[in-house]
Amino acid sequence: MGIGTYLALASVLFGIGAAGFLVRRNMLIQLMSIELMLNSVNVVLLAFNRAHPGNHDGQLFAFFVIAVAAAELVIGLSILIAYYRIKKTLDTDDATLLKY
Amino acid sequence: MHPETTQQLMLLLIILFPLGGAVFNGLAGRYLPKGLVTLVAVGSVAVSFVLAVLSFIELYGLSHDHGAGHAALVYHFYEWFSVKIPGGTVVPIDVRFTMDSLSGVMTLVVTGVGGLIHMYSVGYMGEDEGYPRFMSFLNLFMASMLILVLGSSVPVMFIGWEGVGLCSYLLIGFWYENRDYAAAGRKAFVVNRIGDFGVLIGMFILVGVAGSFEFADINQAAVNGQFQGDFPIWLFGMAPSLATVACLFLFLGCTGKSAQIPLYVWLPDAMAGPTPVSALIHAATMVTAGVYLCCRLSPLFITSDVAMSVIAVTGTLTALLAASIAVVQREMKKILAYSTVSQLGFMFAAVGVGFFAAGFFHVFTHAFFKACLFLGAGSVMHAVHAHGDADIFKLGGMRKYMPTTRWTFLASCLAIAGFPLTSGFFSKDEILLGAAAQIYRGDDPLIHGVGWFVLIGLTLAAVMTAFYMFRLYFLTFTGEYRSADQSGAHPYDAHPHESPASMTIPLMVLGTGALVVGFLGLPHVLPITGTHLDQWSWWGHWMHSSVAGQPVPEELHIVNLASGLAFGAMAIGISAAWVLYRNKSEDLLQQKIPARLYQLAFDKWRVDELYAATIVNPIKKVATVAGHADMTFVDALMTKLPSFNVRESGRVLARMQNGVVQMYGAVMIVGLVGVMAWYWTPHSSIQAEFDGKSVALSTPPGLGYEYRWDANSDGDFETEWSGTPSTSFEYGDDDIRGVAVFIINSQSGATKRVEVGEEWVSLPLESVIPAEFISAQDSGFEVRVDGRDILFRKPFARTKGMGSKEIRLPMGSHGRLGSARVVGRPLVEATLEVRNAFGNARVTTKEIALPFDTESPAHASLTRPRDEVFR
Repeated sequence: MGIGTYLALASVLFGIGAAGFLVRRNMLIQLMSIELMLNSVNVVLLAFNRAHPGNHDGQLFAFFVIAVAAAELVIGLSILIAYYRIKKTLDTDDATLLKY
Repeated sequence: MHPETTQQLMLLLIILFPLGGAVFNGLAGRYLPKGLVTLVAVGSVAVSFVLAVLSFIELYGLSHDHGAGHAALVYHFYEWFSVKIPGGTVVPIDVRFTMDSLSGVMTLVVTGVGGLIHMYSVGYMGEDEGYPRFMSFLNLFMASMLILVLGSSVPVMFIGWEGVGLCSYLLIGFWYENRDYAAAGRKAFVVNRIGDFGVLIGMFILVGVAGSFEFADINQAAVNGQFQGDFPIWLFGMAPSLATVACLFLFLGCTGKSAQIPLYVWLPDAMAGPTPVSALIHAATMVTAGVYLCCRLSPLFITSDVAMSVIAVTGTLTALLAASIAVVQREMKKILAYSTVSQLGFMFAAVGVGFFAAGFFHVFTHAFFKACLFLGAGSVMHAVHAHGDADIFKLGGMRKYMPTTRWTFLASCLAIAGFPLTSGFFSKDEILLGAAAQIYRGDDPLIHGVGWFVLIGLTLAAVMTAFYMFRLYFLTFTGEYRSADQSGAHPYDAHPHESPASMTIPLMVLGTGALVVGFLGLPHVLPITGTHLDQWSWWGHWMHSSVAGQPVPEELHIVNLASGLAFGAMAIGISAAWVLYRNKSEDLLQQKIPARLYQLAFDKWRVDELYAATIVNPIKKVATVAGHADMTFVDALMTKLPSFNVRESGRVLARMQNGVVQMYGAVMIVGLVGVMAWYWTPHSSIQAEFDGKSVALSTPPGLGYEYRWDANSDGDFETEWSGTPSTSFEYGDDDIRGVAVFIINSQSGATKRVEVGEEWVSLPLESVIPAEFISAQDSGFEVRVDGRDILFRKPFARTKGMGSKEIRLPMGSHGRLGSARVVGRPLVEATLEVRNAFGNARVTTKEIALPFDTESPAHASLTRPRDEVFR
């Protein structure tokens, strides 16, 4: 299996994530879409690490991404909970106060 | 430090102490206790006075060593900047201070009288909430005035000149909450600006002729006759001399600063300022700056009879006009203000008849008695709690309440009236003597006429001076206090009191000075006929080195005439005032002269109204029109239109900020795609640098790019793919693709690209010959490349120029074509291929004009001097 396959998989994952982020209106689902995009990047990193096995930079970066994504998710979920308590909904169409 | 330097450094410190006080009180004064503010303000001037006295003693000693006062203390601080005048001379403007006999006396007057008035202000202004500000401005004034006096060149003096104008403005409008007072300050400033323009023009003429800004050099140039030439611009068919024009412009400045016709109108209004300001700035020091300037440049002024006559007549007219107004005014400070204008007229009349030392003597004595009079008026106003000014018809009987003020006021009144043996007696006598002397000098009708006019005019003015001063004295200090029973309209405080010691001590010092300083002008050679002014009194002797002057005539009766006139004028004036006003409360003069005449004089001859109708209002109208134009065109076009554009485009773009997170995500992805598209293909450009025979080619590096070069574009890449973005190549004959013909003419440069080959290419004629020289028969040039040479020809050329023959120019050499310079440079083409990590490649080519012939050392012609190539 060549590196192209991994990259294709990552591209597809990223596309699904991006499309999900743009299309869905539920913030929870959008948060999950973001995770999907982050993980597609992880796949790329691991794939290149396998293709160039001289060091473990790719794997190290993947761990970094996972750690940062975990922290980001904690903050994101807390915001969602706080938001839900105020608005009783998670629909982004109702969260448009921050505009011109 | 060298002892001499230390003594000269004192000149700088004399100025720096008040300046430091001004900065200190201006910045920190309002947060500090009043005592500290007083200590700094008065202390700095006191130190300055002590230093001035020490310097003066030093100067006095020097003048004994060098004889007849030919000595000066000079402190060169630094060179400020320099200017280049027509003729190419570079004239430095030095910050340099000089104390000679003239500026030395003036420095003593400024610091001495100034110090006393600072002390007086402690009592007078102590309760005002703007006290620190007031003291700061006063100190700043002292510093500016000292720069004016001590500056040894015109520009440095001008800094002080402007500085005192600024302080005058600030202090007149000190109570700026009152709109009238603020307007008075503005008026003073604007009127003075008109005069300052004259000083500037005068200064330019001076430096243009004398080639120096230093007073000493300008005076030396005047003595050498450099100012005798005709002024290059003729006015109304007359050809005035350079000296006349320069002096008249400088005198315009003097009329502004020293309140002479036609610019005197600001000084009476300036009485809106606090009384110490009137005493210091608008009586004793600043307003005499014009006289000081005339004396400073007296060797120049004395060379122009026309300018001197103008000054004498203007001074006399001013003295008469102001005195006639002062006779009927009702308010203390207003009378004193017109009196000041009138006395300044006396000084200028003295200058105009060539008795500079006498004029400056009057400056000196006037500083004492007029400062004392103003401070006395302030003391009275303080006693009766009058604000702004005091109506003398509501006062009276003050001698009972305030004896110190009364005696000092009386002393000063006697001095200004010219009572024998007081200071004013000596100075006014000398001025009248100068006028009488002018009548007997030479046989020029202009000189004689001016002399008669000045003599008669000043005698009349002297009569009026004595009259209005004693009118003021009698109405204020004799009779009964008219506000005691509080019956009249707006009466003053019923219980006047003598002022505190901080105010009476300056009064006593100045009053004493008003009586005795005249003895400096006491003749010690009698009779004084046939001598120079400088030989018959200490004053004249002392001033002799720094100011010029006319001699006293031979005839004894002239001197007696002048003394007799002065004494008679004084006696008539005081007697009339005694009869009309002593112990009286009515204005009896009003009943004795026609009512309309009285009213006209009371309205100051309506000069302000005349100026308003002829100058001020037309300018205001123009300003209104200009203001509307500004609002309609400038504001609309320059301000409203751009702001409209920004606002409306912002309104449209703001719609994108709709708060929906999907929208932002979509925009982000569009941007990402754009960036990706940019990076999909590589981008490059070629730069060439010429390094000896080889050419260094390079391109801006890009991440992940690989390069290969084909420097001569023959389809054969010299380098393999590599990450280095540069290469080096030596071009040969075969690489030349064509020639770039550079045409460098007087207007612009042009480039024409010519291919190698047999074809002739035409060159537009405009590129080699200026358009106005092209005639109808001329046709354009043609150019062709032949091997390593460039051929030029002019087909059908029957006229001038090259004819029909061809010119051969080796590549890289310079040649001449028409009026233009031409040089041909070999053109080569470089190719670069770049590929990026996506495997996309791009080919870039560039034509490069080599600056020299690549193979032979013929390009040495480039290093030859240009002239050799062309001639």
